[in-house]
Amino acid sequence: MANHSSAQTTLHEHHFVDTDHQFDAAKLGMWVFIVNEILFFGGLFCAYIIFRAWYPDLFQQAAYQLNAVLGGINTLVLIASSFTVAMAIRSAQTDNQKGLRNHLLFTIILAFVFLIIKAFEYNHKFELGLFPGAYYNPAPEVLEHLNHPKANIFFSIYYMLTGVHAIHILIGIGLLISLYIRAGRGRFSSKFYNPVEIVGLYWHLVDLIWIFLFPLLYLIE
Amino acid sequence: MNTSAHDHHISTVKQLFLVAMGLTFLTFLTVFMAKVIVLPEPFGIIVALTIALAKAFLVGAFFMNLYWDTKFHVLLLVGSFLFFFLMVGVTLLDTLYRDDAIPSF
Amino acid sequence: MTTAEATKVKSLKVQRFQPSDNPTKNFLTEEKGVWAWMTTVDHKKIGIMYLVAVTFFFAIGGFLAVLLRTKLLSGSSISFIDANQYNQLFTLHGAIMVFFVLVPSIPAALGNFILPLQLGAKDVAFPKLNLGSFYIYVIGAIFTFIAIAANGLDTGWTFYTPYSSESGTSVLLVTFGVFILGFSSILTGTNFITTIHKLRAPGMTWGKMPLNVWALYATSIIQVLATPVLAITLVLLMMERVLGIGIFDSALGGDPVLFQHFFWFYSHPAVYIMIVPAFGIMSEVITTFSRKTIFGYWAIALSSLAIAFVGFLVWGHHMFTSGQSPIATTVFSFLTFLVGIPTGMKILNWLATLYKGSIKLDTPMLYALSFLFIFSIGGFTGITLGALSVDIHVHDTYYVVAHFHYVMMGGTLIALLAGLHYWWPKITGKMYNETLGKIGSALIFIGFNVTFLPQFVMGSQGMPRRYYNYIDQFAPFHIASTIGSYILSVGFLLILYYLLHSLWKGKRAPANPWGSRALEWQTTSPPPLHNFEHSPVVINEPYDYHRPMEEFQLGIALDQGEDSDHTEKEKV
Repeated sequence: MANHSSAQTTLHEHHFVDTDHQFDAAKLGMWVFIVNEILFFGGLFCAYIIFRAWYPDLFQQAAYQLNAVLGGINTLVLIASSFTVAMAIRSAQTDNQKGLRNHLLFTIILAFVFLIIKAFEYNHKFELGLFPGAYYNPAPEVLEHLNHPKANIFFSIYYMLTGVHAIHILIGIGLLISLYIRAGRGRFSSKFYNPVEIVGLYWHLVDLIWIFLFPLLYLIE
Repeated sequence: MNTSAHDHHISTVKQLFLVAMGLTFLTFLTVFMAKVIVLPEPFGIIVALTIALAKAFLVGAFFMNLYWDTKFHVLLLVGSFLFFFLMVGVTLLDTLYRDDAIPSF
Repeated sequence: MTTAEATKVKSLKVQRFQPSDNPTKNFLTEEKGVWAWMTTVDHKKIGIMYLVAVTFFFAIGGFLAVLLRTKLLSGSSISFIDANQYNQLFTLHGAIMVFFVLVPSIPAALGNFILPLQLGAKDVAFPKLNLGSFYIYVIGAIFTFIAIAANGLDTGWTFYTPYSSESGTSVLLVTFGVFILGFSSILTGTNFITTIHKLRAPGMTWGKMPLNVWALYATSIIQVLATPVLAITLVLLMMERVLGIGIFDSALGGDPVLFQHFFWFYSHPAVYIMIVPAFGIMSEVITTFSRKTIFGYWAIALSSLAIAFVGFLVWGHHMFTSGQSPIATTVFSFLTFLVGIPTGMKILNWLATLYKGSIKLDTPMLYALSFLFIFSIGGFTGITLGALSVDIHVHDTYYVVAHFHYVMMGGTLIALLAGLHYWWPKITGKMYNETLGKIGSALIFIGFNVTFLPQFVMGSQGMPRRYYNYIDQFAPFHIASTIGSYILSVGFLLILYYLLHSLWKGKRAPANPWGSRALEWQTTSPPPLHNFEHSPVVINEPYDYHRPMEEFQLGIALDQGEDSDHTEKEKV
């Protein structure tokens, strides 16, 4: 029947047979939620595909405005953060409390690095007048390379995709900070680390989305 | 019942690091293929997306532990991609085949 | 009493416990007070809170409908509602009914209560998330009401661009409210899928699950796959208004029809979210009140999944006249015909279940029979609408309005009433007045048909929808329709009256008033806080009315030396 250690009885919910059952259910729930997230971003990717099919020249011209180097660095930052969050899970699984906290911290820091780089990118674009939608007001240097009448569509899609992704990073940071605080209070161990596991899955999903976003937006030639 | 050993796969540091290195390599590869070896369309997109799928496979199988997990989760992930393709494909049936090439003036 | 499952299995001595007909403790008495309700993680209380909320919104939406119909009594002379107000009324009626009543109604209200009981579980997989879903629903509702109070909404519940990008009404707030509400749906779906996979009682294989559970499973899949697309569509619409994004604006290179694609990618599966749980209730009610096993268990179970899948491929049939490409239009028309097949199979299976059954015409069964008639009309008219050549003429007429009211109201709502009456004793522990119940169902049936049957006729003659006045040839139809809506109102008020009355003055309900074989009836009415005193073990098929009731009562296997040839009443 159920585990009866004192740490367990507070964490083991009554409608599950035991903590393993609870862990499996939590993971399944998270995977179902991931399906949901993929369809959410899917709508945006669908818009991207439709408009790229309609205006291929626009996408080729507009890609000059995106910095593939910064995008590439951000990709590596997210890969590193996926690595650190996987290490955090491993630390929890091996009862390494210090490792758990450190790797959670590294993940949070890398997430902030990502956002900072993103902020630089956005700032640079705003300086060139490349605002989304109706506020699109390109500076002359932009018009040399990008002189398409529907240029604002590209940037609308760009800002929507990267913006929604950035919001998910922010949410992830919040979740990771919450984990960090709880880890500091010794709430996780090899017997119970469900929240670490599922936040880890969420974070990998965020990385997964960026893996597709990066070539589709930054690597158009 | 020892829950920590029960069915939960624990990756080694080396395994995780190798996966991260693989992802890094693929990132450099995709930038190289796109910016240095500029392939004509549509091969550019095909190569970029193939590499992206390879990266996604690494993240999904070895970071998200799908390789060692119940196959149902793999079904969920693959299924959601299939639904995405259905959504895109059927919408493109409309947007690509209209009489007026582009819906504007 | 011994049970022999098959000739090869040794008989097992089991001590059966009949659930008490007069429990001293149940989930209502064990957690009391407003704070307990507001912070409960008990799926039963959450289900009841949803039910109250859904009823509240239904009352508002229904009131708006009566206002609309009153305006339409005369083409021009009823002047207390002008054209602009009329637009707001039908928009709100649609938005409230679709998002706040029909989508959550059966899954969140009845499903939440019944699903764990039917599975033999103590709760859903994520009880706190369940409570969260409810509060998200409430917050979404509050946003919408603030919006309505602020500036109203007149875009139609479908928010089509370009008007919705430009309208001066509170589109932003309402879409944000619906966006929030979508998360309630998504989280409920996630919860149910995990619950059905992980929390079935021992012995309950997929083939022994009640069909209601299969229906809720298919519904949850649709909720998880479709609602996020609505969410992103609403975000894009909000950004269109705030930032002028231009994805749906032709002047900026976008495409207004793209909004329709995205919108209907959710909203068509959404109607299956509304109807598939209704199908589940139908399976339960028809088997119980014909005391017969279901005809074609796997056909019904798998057809729910088939509907869920094919339902994602037909959304373009809402857009036949929008300027879609001919090839897309043709493909959508063909797929629309396909989606009628699994649905038709279900209807035929239910009819076969009724055949030679021992039919008891109690109120839930009357609603189920009404469903069969009304939904069939709705379903057939859906197929005719799927035919391109017909749809070109009747698109945006009252034919469409009648069709969707026949399936959504005649289907989902009537099934909701059937389920509500069926499970009322289980939920409240009280019996309602059966005579009034029968009268209520008659009023609903008559009122419904009087309201909506004329609408088919006038739609086919060309009466457009969403118009606040009309030419004289349509007057008799509108008048008949309005009279029908008043009959419906009386029916609903009667139902509300006797259901509320039963809470105070109703007879005590026994554990199993209908003699059903299902698992939720093997515990007390109302159930205890944790649903079952011991974890049930499922041995028999669902709906197996060949076997005596004792074989479905919960029991404990005895040490085989003990004597156990009597069924004990459970001591509570």
